[in-house]
Amino acid sequence: MIRTRELTKHFRVHKRPPGFRSAVRSLFHRQYEVVKAVDGVSFTIERGERVGFLGPNGAGKTTTLKVLSGLLHPTSGEAMVEDHVPARRQTELLQKITLVMGQKSQLIWDLPPADTYELNRAVFDVPRRQYQETLAELTQLLELGPLLHKPTRQLSLGERMKCELAAALLHRPTTLFLDEPTIGLDVAMQLAIRDFVRTYNQRHEATVLLTSHYMDDVVALCPRIIVIDAGKLIHDGDLRGLVKAMDPDKRVSFTLTQPIGDDELGKVGALLQRDGARVTVRVPEREIPAAVGHLLRELRVADLAIEDPPLEEILREMFGKAKQERAPAEPGQQP
Amino acid sequence: MIRYLRLAGLQLRISAAAGMTYRADFLVEGALALLLLSLMLLPWIVLFSDGRTEVAGWDRPSTLMVMAYFIGVRAVLEGLISPSLVDLLERIRSGAFDYVLLKPIDAQALVSTSRCEPWQVVNVLFAIGLAVYAFALRGRGPAPEDVALGVVLFAAGLLAMYSLWLLCAAAGFWVVRLDNLTYLLGAIFDVARWPVAVFPGLWRFVFTFIIPVAVMTTFPAQALLGTLGIETALATIGGALALVVVSRLVWRLAIRSYTSASS
Amino acid sequence: MTRTLRAIPTLLRVGVAETVAYRAEFLIWILTTTLPLVMLALWTSVASERAFRSYSSEDFVAYYLAVLIVRNLTGTWVAWQVSEDVRMGSMSMRLLRPLHPFVAYAASHLAAVPFRSLVVLPIAGVLLLSSGASSLTREPVQLALIVPSLALAWLITFSLLFALGALAFFITKAMALLNLYFMTFSLFSGYLLPQDLLPGWIARAAAVLPFRYMLGVPVELMTRAHAPGEVRNLMLGQLAWAAVSLVVALRVWRLGVRRYEAVGG
Repeated sequence: MIRTRELTKHFRVHKRPPGFRSAVRSLFHRQYEVVKAVDGVSFTIERGERVGFLGPNGAGKTTTLKVLSGLLHPTSGEAMVEDHVPARRQTELLQKITLVMGQKSQLIWDLPPADTYELNRAVFDVPRRQYQETLAELTQLLELGPLLHKPTRQLSLGERMKCELAAALLHRPTTLFLDEPTIGLDVAMQLAIRDFVRTYNQRHEATVLLTSHYMDDVVALCPRIIVIDAGKLIHDGDLRGLVKAMDPDKRVSFTLTQPIGDDELGKVGALLQRDGARVTVRVPEREIPAAVGHLLRELRVADLAIEDPPLEEILREMFGKAKQERAPAEPGQQP
Repeated sequence: MIRYLRLAGLQLRISAAAGMTYRADFLVEGALALLLLSLMLLPWIVLFSDGRTEVAGWDRPSTLMVMAYFIGVRAVLEGLISPSLVDLLERIRSGAFDYVLLKPIDAQALVSTSRCEPWQVVNVLFAIGLAVYAFALRGRGPAPEDVALGVVLFAAGLLAMYSLWLLCAAAGFWVVRLDNLTYLLGAIFDVARWPVAVFPGLWRFVFTFIIPVAVMTTFPAQALLGTLGIETALATIGGALALVVVSRLVWRLAIRSYTSASS
Repeated sequence: MTRTLRAIPTLLRVGVAETVAYRAEFLIWILTTTLPLVMLALWTSVASERAFRSYSSEDFVAYYLAVLIVRNLTGTWVAWQVSEDVRMGSMSMRLLRPLHPFVAYAASHLAAVPFRSLVVLPIAGVLLLSSGASSLTREPVQLALIVPSLALAWLITFSLLFALGALAFFITKAMALLNLYFMTFSLFSGYLLPQDLLPGWIARAAAVLPFRYMLGVPVELMTRAHAPGEVRNLMLGQLAWAAVSLVVALRVWRLGVRRYEAVGG
């Protein structure tokens, strides 16, 4: 179980305007600026949940993960992971959690992953038999067979990522923190990793906390989504709830069976796209029944579809709104 | 404790295996070791070439002994301590150090033995050979208790060296781009080539008590030659242990700083 | 070409800013030049009672302090920097710029020289004048040539180290070669010991190797009275080696880059 309450993390960042004079001045006197990377975030995650963190760059997602895994001490507020305070980095907790950072590698570069695995086995003091069982399971799920004994530097990015995941799971942790695990990977590999994480979560009842830039990862994998922007938590719930909270206009797409002018279409809703006979308009939810009726009866369109806008757009709107609400005096992003 | 030793052994074995994969490097390293040895001996040869018999109260065999210890400790520095430091600094720079903190093992233990250069063992052998030659020059061998003390103080010197390494490593957290710290360590250690007596008063003090490189070569050499007072020997060992404690505290401070103030 | 020339002031300015930003690293480079001081301690102790060969205690002080100054003003870590850039892949970015990397690196290292002088010259200079003044040269011609000689020494050092760094394009463990280079340098340049204290064959070899012209010549101009003919030969030697090392550096670089691009960067 993971729980945070008013979790806050500030950073002091050295600030230096460009130019020669300030370069010399900074020799003697350094200027600092406080960046609020995480600002009063509270949530509770139960055992076995899969939760996704969404937010723009510098929103505080990675910082939150780092605090939860004990890599950073919070400035204020509380964090508890499996009944431990992560900042204390007690052995008992470290045996139960794992953090995978998509942009940083723990595999030894010049040697095959198998050697790193051996090392991790010794470090985590995993009994031989359990280690072999776990390794066999991971090898099978991630198709690691031919990769285990090739030097890491010879593996492709996707192969390396799979091996990284395995390295992180050899000690059978029950809480997984995944920070951008699919970054830079092709679609097939992303799917493979998503499947793997889901399987692992279901099989071992492991709690999964995932951050990703790829909406698809989060939407496909996580029933619950936490949205963070500029250090603040702005949504916590399922996808449906998120969409509903934003109450966006729906998208109505249809195919024209008779020529209809743009201004005529404009009366139904804002014209978003017109591609030959295929048209997409934006219609506020409450006007949907009337619009649909009009389209079908009067305009006699075919292949009518009503959809939510893409998640990216919803989020962009969400962040844009949040940005406006914030006072303009806080420019900083996380270093 | 056993677990830590086994872990260290495993890391070193892995690193040694990695080192031996590049065969051409292996030969180059061997040639370098020989060249370095002759280069280190050259000043000594020149020094005694005009007929004099001593420098600052140290005669030929005893200065050679200091040099032997210098080569021995330096071999451990270049073979075990420096490579791990380079590895650590790289991990800090790339952010992979985070993974070290995530392991349920003391971070210091993990990073201290992460890499090694197996070829340096040859230099340790050179050092021993040089010590034997020094005794041959003197004309009489060492007493057994001198050998024992010489070995103990060698270990003390290594502990002191390791502590200096740890302090450098801790510095690497606060000032991010410090890849050349390994060079600094080597440069400081250069001071230990000669008996500390060649340095003028103030520096003698500095190099004995503040940056205790004298501890690493001068005193062990004296011990092996049987000229070290027992109080000095004990003080040396005590000093080395104190240094270990201090460096450990600074390391802990550095980790605290890393986890509280960085990203 | 003109674009390069026009870029140089900015490059130098940026180089200065870099030096200031990474002041800790740059200070450490200065501190790593300890060997001359160690040797100074040794030899002054040796010569304290009676002169060693033709060198008195003061002669040694002057010599090694001069070595320290020259080393600090001419030494660069460009070899290490280039090999790191190749290893980490950041060289690709440099190659995309319409500015020859040699110029870019040179500018940033040149920009560090004022700072190094600021740190080293006051201390070393004062010590030199107070303890070793009697051993310093007084020949006006030699004195006048010190700065040009330093400049040439810098150029030779930089070019050769640049070429060494470029070897990283060809071999993986360029570090071992750098160590080898430094050992050879310290022997033949006068860094470790004055040339006339070494066995004769070393001095003869040093005449045809570049190392003496990277360090020995400026040091000798400062601390020893040479005959005018000898001075002219030494300066010509420096000029020759400056040209040769520049050519070698650019050639090795071009071959290396071609290989780098062939392999895929």
